[in-house]
Amino acid sequence: MKINKDKLADFIAAISEQTVYAPQKRGEALVFAPVAKGSNVNLAAANTTIPPKSVVFPQTETLLRFELGKTDLEAPVQEGKAVMLGVRPCDARAMVIVDNVFSWDVDDPYYLQKRADLTLVGLACLEPCVNCFCSSVGGGPASKEGLDVLMTDLGDGYLLEVLTEKGQTLCQSAEGLLEESVKEDKDAAEKLHAAAVNKITRQAPDTGPIPAGLPRLWEDPLWAEVSESCLGCGICTYLCPTCHCFDIQDESEGCDSRRCRTWDSCMFPEYTLHASGHNPRPTRRERTRNRINHKYSYFVDKFNVIACVGCGRCINLCPVNIDILNILSKVGEAL
Amino acid sequence: MINLEKIRDIAKNTVSRDDIKYLIGWRQGTYGFRVSPHFVRKPEEAEELIFSPLCSNNLATYLTLAEKRPVPRGQQPDTRKVAVMVKGCDSRAVVQQLVEQGIERESVYIIGCPCEGVVDQSKLEEKYPGTFGQVEARWENGKISLCFPEGKTEVVGEELLTQKCLTCRYPNPVLADINLREEVAARGNESFADVAELEKKSTKDKWSFWQDKFSSCIRCYSCRNVCPMCYCQECILDKLNPTWVNRSVNISENTAYHLARAFHLAGRCIECGECERVCPVNIPITKLNRKLTKEVTEKFGFEPGVDVEAKPPLVGYRPDDKENFIL
Amino acid sequence: MSENLEPNVVAFLCNWCSYAGADLAGTSRIEYPPNLNVIRVMCSGRVNPLFVVNALQQGADGVLISGCHPGDCHYMEGNFYARRRFSVMKELLEYVGVDARRFNMSWVSASEGAKWKEVVSGVVDKAKEAGPFTEFRRNKIDW
Repeated sequence: MKINKDKLADFIAAISEQTVYAPQKRGEALVFAPVAKGSNVNLAAANTTIPPKSVVFPQTETLLRFELGKTDLEAPVQEGKAVMLGVRPCDARAMVIVDNVFSWDVDDPYYLQKRADLTLVGLACLEPCVNCFCSSVGGGPASKEGLDVLMTDLGDGYLLEVLTEKGQTLCQSAEGLLEESVKEDKDAAEKLHAAAVNKITRQAPDTGPIPAGLPRLWEDPLWAEVSESCLGCGICTYLCPTCHCFDIQDESEGCDSRRCRTWDSCMFPEYTLHASGHNPRPTRRERTRNRINHKYSYFVDKFNVIACVGCGRCINLCPVNIDILNILSKVGEAL
Repeated sequence: MINLEKIRDIAKNTVSRDDIKYLIGWRQGTYGFRVSPHFVRKPEEAEELIFSPLCSNNLATYLTLAEKRPVPRGQQPDTRKVAVMVKGCDSRAVVQQLVEQGIERESVYIIGCPCEGVVDQSKLEEKYPGTFGQVEARWENGKISLCFPEGKTEVVGEELLTQKCLTCRYPNPVLADINLREEVAARGNESFADVAELEKKSTKDKWSFWQDKFSSCIRCYSCRNVCPMCYCQECILDKLNPTWVNRSVNISENTAYHLARAFHLAGRCIECGECERVCPVNIPITKLNRKLTKEVTEKFGFEPGVDVEAKPPLVGYRPDDKENFIL
Repeated sequence: MSENLEPNVVAFLCNWCSYAGADLAGTSRIEYPPNLNVIRVMCSGRVNPLFVVNALQQGADGVLISGCHPGDCHYMEGNFYARRRFSVMKELLEYVGVDARRFNMSWVSASEGAKWKEVVSGVVDKAKEAGPFTEFRRNKIDW
């Protein structure tokens, strides 16, 4: 199916009985935010600063509410159908990867309910950015994994490829606005997809030997080298679409309390600080080593997939230009 | 004129000294206009050092960032110096750290790099989108020459410098053990125009301006971690029991976070602008910090990071301090 | 305008002068507005400027810090440090858009029961004028 670009606003209106999330400016950053009347949706820009994980895994989320004097607890699992418009294929793959964690030993109702309620309408990348390397970690600029619909920008309109039942249901709700696509459209889209793959300039080294090989490099000097300039901030982890660590805190206001979870980062020193004062990852060297090992080795052990989708945000936004591709090439050399 | 060979030679000689542990400088980044900090321990590693208009990083933050591991029994602590390459603004951070006794004079070897101004990376990326390969830059006759990987060169002027550089009064390091080049003329005068502009707004407008900015804050703590003046072992903003600022991310906590950090930097912020550069959501943090710089300058006549012998204003007092705000 | 709502003012009073002065006002049966939540500290120099931020977050509509007169501090110089700190904190709060009427500082000695009444009345009036400060409150935001 196809939709003309000037019908996009109507399309959004047609599907608006669900909450529609689309890339918009919040302050100076592009994020996935609910579309309201007069919203300025930006589908032309490169990826959002904050990945779409912020919708199903909000930065701060109430897990429990309780009141002084009462014995019952509220566990507010948020329900409500939602659509995310303009998700890049890397971020969609990332959601599938993170699903593993939230349905692993415990089924996390907060996350899983939102995921079940969510329809992902992806947008194929036709102009990969400088630090995109999705194709070297199992993805691609037009990867369909995790998506319910894939849009491709054909110039005057978008080609819509329905991939799942959810996607089908969504398109049906906007039936009147969609046209039938023709073979030329599909061919054009395929050509654009292929061209996009060729535009990716950076590659990760062969990731085949990395997961099994990383544990051997535990004491390798490369970790001290690559982490020496690290500031220990949370940018790489917070903006990573596959990172999912969180902290749980209790907060009180008068007689009301809540238990909430917030994003946490393994790059913060307090992350592994024990109550005794001992910290098994005392310096940035250990924490950097842990982060790479987690994404490229431990996660593979448990879930058979590298927990990195090559979106490039960590490279783009690291203040000191710590580059995961640089680290991986050092790992490749050391192995 | 920057003589890279001379700079690298100085670095090699420095690193070969017995009393120097390592040297911190800059080297070309992995793509585009990026530059990354480079830690040199062996003379050969100094070959990669650069000093160009792309070198925005304030390396003074690493003087306090390096973790001090406990020394194993029987071993002596390594008391060798750390050599650090600093521009004018960066050197003020080193001086202020010395003033506060956050570091000791004997622990640092300051390599002064008089600077003609660094470019604003976001302006560069806007002007030259899709620059994938590594770009080199040079100061040339008051302008900046950019060498793109395909071979072409572009010359740009002041319009691409960071805001702080346009009003720079300290292009030459305030304190240095050795200087890499001859002194550079200062660019401007301090008028705190950016602060004055916001001061003119009504209370309501100020609040909505800052609330809008703080609402996009994701509390990554990048501003705090990159700041050379934020080096508390345990930051008050991370503390639990008592919890000064909750870890949940919402507008109230974000506002408290930024207010707390700004206040803790009052009279200490040396305006290197790194906080603003690193912020992933572009909060104008220097606009907040500079307000307090202005207040401390006007009220107490103190400028941080200029005089190693100075006494910081908020740990002192004068019996005749103004109290026109007291009922 | 909030004629109905009574402002919540948090006051940090130094033990030796201001707290005693407030107490004198009480024993002298001087009537003054009851809107203050008093927190006794040993010296105004102990008051961390971030207490003000915290108080506003917890629902204060106004804050008062009161100590001994300069030169009379029980600990010699605590109030001098406080004076410097709060002259800066006040500017920061105003710059961020917190109404200047919400932040107050005073010197009230142990014998100034009458002055205490004036200070409190002034502070509460200003807080009333400025209105309830709900925008900074933590109150169950996004719970």
